[in-house]
Amino acid sequence: MDVSQYLEVFIDESDEHLQTLSDCIMVLEKEPENMDTINEIFRAAHSLKGMAGTMGFKRMQHLTHDMENVFQEVRSEKIKVNSAMIDLLFKCLDAIEGYLNNIKASSDEGTEDNELIIKELNDFISGSEGGSAPEPKKEAAPVAESAPAENETDGKKKYFEFELDDSEKTKIKEAEENGLHVYGMTVYIQKECLLKAARAFLVFKAVEEFGQILVYNPSSQDIEDERFDCDFSFYLASEESLDKILEAAKAVSEIEDVVGEEVKYAALAEKQEKAEEEAAAATTAPAAKTATAEKAATPAPAAKASAPAAKAPATSNNKKQAVAKPVTNRTVRVDIEKLDALMNQVSELIIAKNSLVSFSSTESGDFQNQTFHDQIEYLERITTNLHESVMKVRMVPIESVVAKFPRMIRDLSRKLNKNMELFMSGEETELDRTVVDQIGDPLQHLLRNSADHGLEDNETRRALGKPEVGSIFLKAFQEGNNVIIEVGDDGAGIDVDAVRNKAIERGVITEEQAESMSQKEIVNLLFLPSFSMAKKITDISGRGVGLDVVKSNIEALGGDVEVKTQLGEGTTFTVRLPLTLAIIQALMVEIRDEKYAIALGSIVTIEDIPVKDIKYVEAQEVISLREMVIPLIRLDEILDSEPREEPENLTVVIVKKGDNHAGLVVDNLIGQQEIVIKSLGKYINSNKIISGATILGDGEVALILDANALM
Amino acid sequence: MANNNYEVSEVESKQYIVVMVGNEQYGIDISYIDNIVRMQKITRVPKVQPYFTGVINLRGEVVPIMSLRKKMDLADDVFTNASRIIILKLEDNASIGIIVDEVKEVVNLGEDEIDKTNKGKFIDAVGKHGNELISLLAINSIVEDDI
Repeated sequence: MDVSQYLEVFIDESDEHLQTLSDCIMVLEKEPENMDTINEIFRAAHSLKGMAGTMGFKRMQHLTHDMENVFQEVRSEKIKVNSAMIDLLFKCLDAIEGYLNNIKASSDEGTEDNELIIKELNDFISGSEGGSAPEPKKEAAPVAESAPAENETDGKKKYFEFELDDSEKTKIKEAEENGLHVYGMTVYIQKECLLKAARAFLVFKAVEEFGQILVYNPSSQDIEDERFDCDFSFYLASEESLDKILEAAKAVSEIEDVVGEEVKYAALAEKQEKAEEEAAAATTAPAAKTATAEKAATPAPAAKASAPAAKAPATSNNKKQAVAKPVTNRTVRVDIEKLDALMNQVSELIIAKNSLVSFSSTESGDFQNQTFHDQIEYLERITTNLHESVMKVRMVPIESVVAKFPRMIRDLSRKLNKNMELFMSGEETELDRTVVDQIGDPLQHLLRNSADHGLEDNETRRALGKPEVGSIFLKAFQEGNNVIIEVGDDGAGIDVDAVRNKAIERGVITEEQAESMSQKEIVNLLFLPSFSMAKKITDISGRGVGLDVVKSNIEALGGDVEVKTQLGEGTTFTVRLPLTLAIIQALMVEIRDEKYAIALGSIVTIEDIPVKDIKYVEAQEVISLREMVIPLIRLDEILDSEPREEPENLTVVIVKKGDNHAGLVVDNLIGQQEIVIKSLGKYINSNKIISGATILGDGEVALILDANALM
Repeated sequence: MANNNYEVSEVESKQYIVVMVGNEQYGIDISYIDNIVRMQKITRVPKVQPYFTGVINLRGEVVPIMSLRKKMDLADDVFTNASRIIILKLEDNASIGIIVDEVKEVVNLGEDEIDKTNKGKFIDAVGKHGNELISLLAINSIVEDDI
């Protein structure tokens, strides 16, 4: 069966389940008794197994199956959760992730069997059974959910589970007397199947080539009306061998499994009688089976007996599971490319609108009537709203990226033998999908940095009188048109003198340069390529591939990163990312005859400053504004514009980046406009101060100034 | 059938657009060319490679424009009525425009008309068309960064 079309869905959902598992196991580590969590883990593991099986990834299915078994035991309280088990479970997750990565890369799960992990898992189950004597089967009847629902072929043979009335029995008897074989069969349809009735019909059609169906369960009418779960059973009288019939039934697509065997009327009748007797005695049934025996087909009386009893609760249990699934929002998965296309069209629309606006505002023309202006304003409002809606569709919470970090910190804590805890806030902060996809690695790097270099080891912390458990934090929040993500720790901080000495030693700066550099400038040296401060190289960080990569990754996204540190108190990296990559509100300014756009988000105020009020600090032009000293940036000089005669008053656009302010000197203000950001193309090596270009209403191209880069 | 014959006979020759830059004729492989547009307002981009004149708006896309003269260290561009911008598309989503003084014609050059021994920094080969010599531009080295 061709399942490739489902591959993407499979990968997406598996990722989700893996994340759920990881989160839950973290919780479980802290609260080993939390039954809700255990149930959730079980569900996720089970879904993973089912999906892997459907897609034909046998190894992955095997591993998840054994993992599920462990949870099953935990759930029925036969195994206690301990730290060895948590470690093992994390190993499992890593292995499954390995499979998944292989699948992502090559649509194939690879050949790693992970036998060691599987063996350890099985050891866990058998270990617990050796220790605590109770026979697993014993609980099968009273505990409905441990009714061997999916992992034993035995449990799959549901045709034993329904009662035959007399006329049906007679039919079976007659068929047998006519020299036909009677087979009991149960067919499982895949859970995702949409047209279950149609599939069932195809199965019936296939098997009826070989013989006649004697008994249906559920009734044929119910099956036709799709009033059944994912399985149905029937008795078939045929001359053919069982294998052939099974094969024919399995050939129908979207059928997960078909089980069946030949049944004899005598045995059947006997079984039915016995069943009632033994149902009562089921709890004490001498089921001489251990977990290892589970794999073999074991049609022992106990199992059969428990089956009818368990059936009713089992179905209701199924329903309960369906209800207990977390209520998800009603969503549609959309290919990101379709969203990109939609976004492009909105961009076009905005450009067209801008050109209408500029047309209508020209003095000449016959369009100076009120209705026309009203309509233009109306159009403007609609396009702005439309743009916002499309933007929102593209926004995803950064949660999907940061969710894996607690696990990472836990592992690092063990590896480095440092006690540490990660505090995260603002996971719900939303960013454009393309940014979120690429922010994971830089953040991970910063966190590793904090864990490895930032925090001191346990002894040092104790000696310093700091809490022994080091704190690492990740804070995300929105600020204007930017999203800020702070990653920091309460560790040793950066030793500025050490950095300075190292930089001089490496010849990065000269001693004279070092003298005149501010503390901040020296700390920023850490972002230079191959400037690692690690005293020893660990496999966590310190290979010289470091902060420079973080910086360039973040800059590639149109953001920037800065660092604040206090010796002995900790270090904080502040990552600033643009909320959107496509359309922004901007202030259009004029410098000589060239037009530039400045993102509105970074603008604080616009001031008219008399030239005589300009003061000098360290030969730098500054202005004093509401008790702040703000450096002036002459845009015309930076942009190599033609010089001009100095006017009496300067128009200064005050922009801010974090706590820093700067005043950009421009010639004229044009006004506020919604602009579509376009890249300058692949071939131009634009300076960082130009973050892109936009097309104005009159078709002219204007460049976008990046206020952050100017400062 | 006629169509087939046509293709077979054309297989060994390539089409080039002949342009003038200064007093030299250059040929550009037509398969690289996306569009030829008239000279229009070019927005200067500060702080970039000196041979980039700026960017233009080409049907809603921003396309960087390079001065072939500056790239080849010739005299500055003089824009006339004949000046054109040739838009090259070397890969998807990456266009670049080059300014030429004049677009003359399209020629077919057979393998035997191309002299590959004559290579230069920006020239792959020299084509002979009638009495004229056409320098065939090495598009990739033109687009590449000077370091």
